[in-house]
Amino acid sequence: MGGDVKNRLKVLRAERDWSQQDLATRLEVSRQSVNAIETGRYDPSLPLAFRIADVFGLAIEEIFLREE
Amino acid sequence: MRVFAERLGMTEEAKSALTRTVPFWAGLTFAAFGAVAGLALSDAINNATTLLLMIVPAALFFQTMRVANRGGSCTGNREAQRRYTKRVALFTSLYLLALAVMTIADKNGVGLQAVRVVLATLPGLAIIGVFWAIGRLIVEERDEFLRMLTIRQSLIATALALSAASVWGFLETADIVVHLDAYWWAVVWFGGIGVGAVMNRMKYGSWGAM
Repeated sequence: MGGDVKNRLKVLRAERDWSQQDLATRLEVSRQSVNAIETGRYDPSLPLAFRIADVFGLAIEEIFLREE
Repeated sequence: MRVFAERLGMTEEAKSALTRTVPFWAGLTFAAFGAVAGLALSDAINNATTLLLMIVPAALFFQTMRVANRGGSCTGNREAQRRYTKRVALFTSLYLLALAVMTIADKNGVGLQAVRVVLATLPGLAIIGVFWAIGRLIVEERDEFLRMLTIRQSLIATALALSAASVWGFLETADIVVHLDAYWWAVVWFGGIGVGAVMNRMKYGSWGAM
């Protein structure tokens, strides 16, 4: 299941010059969570995916993509 | 430990780095667990001493998880973990106290059955308190990833403990192995929590919150 979805978290974070901890603080989660999502080891729930989208000011589908 | 490090001729920096690593504390935890289990199985120590000494690997495991989570927490989950730590410390203290009272009462020959029942129940209730603390951690943890890791760790521990109990039980019935008191399966479960943390690290890159 973890391999079905890929995400652009690392790129989006780099564009804003945020560390994993910066993003974690904004999302009110642990740095481990951000790392696990970013590396594709963990797919976030829908509410967390919405929070991530809000933090980046993007739509969910602009961050999380279906792996072809 | 400082003496041990000095004997190895380590620098201050190397000593500090060593005590910050998870494998170091995890190694100590498993070594202590193995030593106590070895002493118990070889009848070198009695049951009460074994149960008291089990606090050593438990405390080392706690330290392992503290080191593992150092620098990884943030406002989202720290409060739940802080409450969990306090609760486990409280129930571990109660466990030691209950065990001490039970041992003293046993040596002084408390004859009244009702008093014996109450005293023998107390250490088990303290252990139930630790299970409750883990349950509360799952409920109160706001970080869904860490919550998932805690649940996964608990399921791995449960699978290991129940599997071990099932196999041992039938071996015991067939007179192949010695009798084990039932509270040992709780000890195995806590060992399984350590295994679960390692499996979480391997699959998700994190030791978890416990």
